[in-house]
Amino acid sequence: MTDMTTIPAMATITEVHPLSGDTSFFRLGLKEGEAQGFTFTPGQFVQLSVPAAGEFPISLAGSPGHGRELELCVRKAGHVTAVLHNLRPGDPVAVRGPFGTGFPVERMRGNDVILLAGGLGIAPLRSLFHYFLEHREEYGAITLMYGAREPSAILFRDELAELACRRDIRLMLTVDFLTEEPAGGPVCRVGLLPGLLMGIKLRLDQTYAAVCGPPALYRCLITELLGLDFPENRIFLSLERRMKCGIGLCCHCAVGDFFCCTDGPVFSYDRIKEIPGVI
Amino acid sequence: MQKNFLSNESFPLFLQGLAASGDLHGPVLTDDGVMAFRPICSPADIQLDCIRTLIPPKKYFFPPKEAILTYSPVKGYQLTKAAGKKVILFGLHPCDLAGIAYLDRVFLESQPDPLFVKRRKAVTLIGLSCEPDEYCFCGTMGTAEPQNFDIFMHRTEAGFYLSAGSSRGKKIIRRLSVLLEAREPPSPVPCECKIEETILQAATRGETFSESRLWEDFAGRCLSCGACSLCCPTCYCFDVQERGRLDGETAERLREWDNCLFKSHGEVAGGHNFRKTREERFRYRFQHKYLGFGPMRGIVSCVGCGRCRDVCPVKIDLMELFREKANIL
Repeated sequence: MTDMTTIPAMATITEVHPLSGDTSFFRLGLKEGEAQGFTFTPGQFVQLSVPAAGEFPISLAGSPGHGRELELCVRKAGHVTAVLHNLRPGDPVAVRGPFGTGFPVERMRGNDVILLAGGLGIAPLRSLFHYFLEHREEYGAITLMYGAREPSAILFRDELAELACRRDIRLMLTVDFLTEEPAGGPVCRVGLLPGLLMGIKLRLDQTYAAVCGPPALYRCLITELLGLDFPENRIFLSLERRMKCGIGLCCHCAVGDFFCCTDGPVFSYDRIKEIPGVI
Repeated sequence: MQKNFLSNESFPLFLQGLAASGDLHGPVLTDDGVMAFRPICSPADIQLDCIRTLIPPKKYFFPPKEAILTYSPVKGYQLTKAAGKKVILFGLHPCDLAGIAYLDRVFLESQPDPLFVKRRKAVTLIGLSCEPDEYCFCGTMGTAEPQNFDIFMHRTEAGFYLSAGSSRGKKIIRRLSVLLEAREPPSPVPCECKIEETILQAATRGETFSESRLWEDFAGRCLSCGACSLCCPTCYCFDVQERGRLDGETAERLREWDNCLFKSHGEVAGGHNFRKTREERFRYRFQHKYLGFGPMRGIVSCVGCGRCRDVCPVKIDLMELFREKANIL
């Protein structure tokens, strides 16, 4: 096994399909021998290399139990991701990682969990959600609340429609605007994500919240959760920063005196709440 | 008693002797009037009275731009190899040595950086005592006491008192001992510093001066030119870029000095910027210099070389924050 911290390990794209107008799903297979025993914690990220274009940090969106097979959800947001979006199955990419501290799945065991995802924030939470489903009996009530801008921006629609049929989990979707009646797909409400929390019964001392979304969402979601007396040390957020190295060297991703790439990207709210500009 | 004194007359010969161990580099005055560490062609070029070079010696271990990986479709990504040419770096003041010691902790300790390791090993550090000017505050930062050197040369009117700080330094001194004589070194003069206690106390309690009006003042004047971190001996932020070669198949990944005063530093995909304002970027720089990030938290990385105060075109000085707090303006 090569050192995947500094040298990107080669991988092949095995599947690509669009999830929305600007976001696609990528499945990669790490080359045999290069990444024996590759595993991660939901919430961790990798640095994905697109040869001759560059490298970018991206959350792992699949379950950790798939060994050399990685699932990513990537929005076309810059020149490297634009090149990636032109690649097809069979094309080479490379992976460094996994990096950072993910969600505390051990600490969450035996508790209820509520996952709150806004927009592309579904990517790391999908990984966590699949982890919980694979270890269903070890966790209490599992709730996924997911908000998107409009029905066509809901990522993993087919998968969510299927999951909505399960009786052992609670799935709640909402869209900010209903521009057109969605043809098929899962049932969703209209309104902002924090609104879904209204009227929800939570066992506060036995529930963990995992949150991922854009900064504006964090601000109102946290207010809402704290309003429900949700304990600060039971709210876990995944912070977005531009990690260029992933190993706490390049100094782009500091929040307060933490590095997002090593101390995070997942932090409990009580650890970061005093840091100005953190969300 | 050991032979430790090098007279001014023997100094040129000593330099020649040093050059036998590697390429001799030291402070010279360049054609464009800038003090810089450069290869020494003749002993007369060395600027012994140089107070500070514009660019600190970090460039020897951590070049402004370097290839860290290469890519080819057949071999995938591979580490590049640093040349590792032997260099004798002469004329490092205690602040610069302290700067190198800080970078050593960053790049050599928890996850040794292969390129830094190779370059660092190839460079012999020869320290030189100095006379501070109005911008220096190394006494304040506790870096006036030389550290992390192979040889340190304490300069006096008649010549230099040498001390070895490593086995490599000892070997060189032994080899050149014919040029030396034994003399009792002068007793060191303690540095007096008014503000040291204030800085260390502030750093210990994690002071961010969040209420200070000075941030606004700094942000109002700052041009975001980034000169302060470019010339800082302990600034090491870097950007990573990949450039495809003209063959259309192979590529090179580069790491390049970056700058936390630049607007792009806090930008993320999609254009959101976590440090959009100059004030936020200033606070980030302050946090890094005096409080530290991650494994380096709690370590003050300012070495008091005075470069940032000297080069700032609008004369911004982070020291004012401490002075304001201590009421010593």
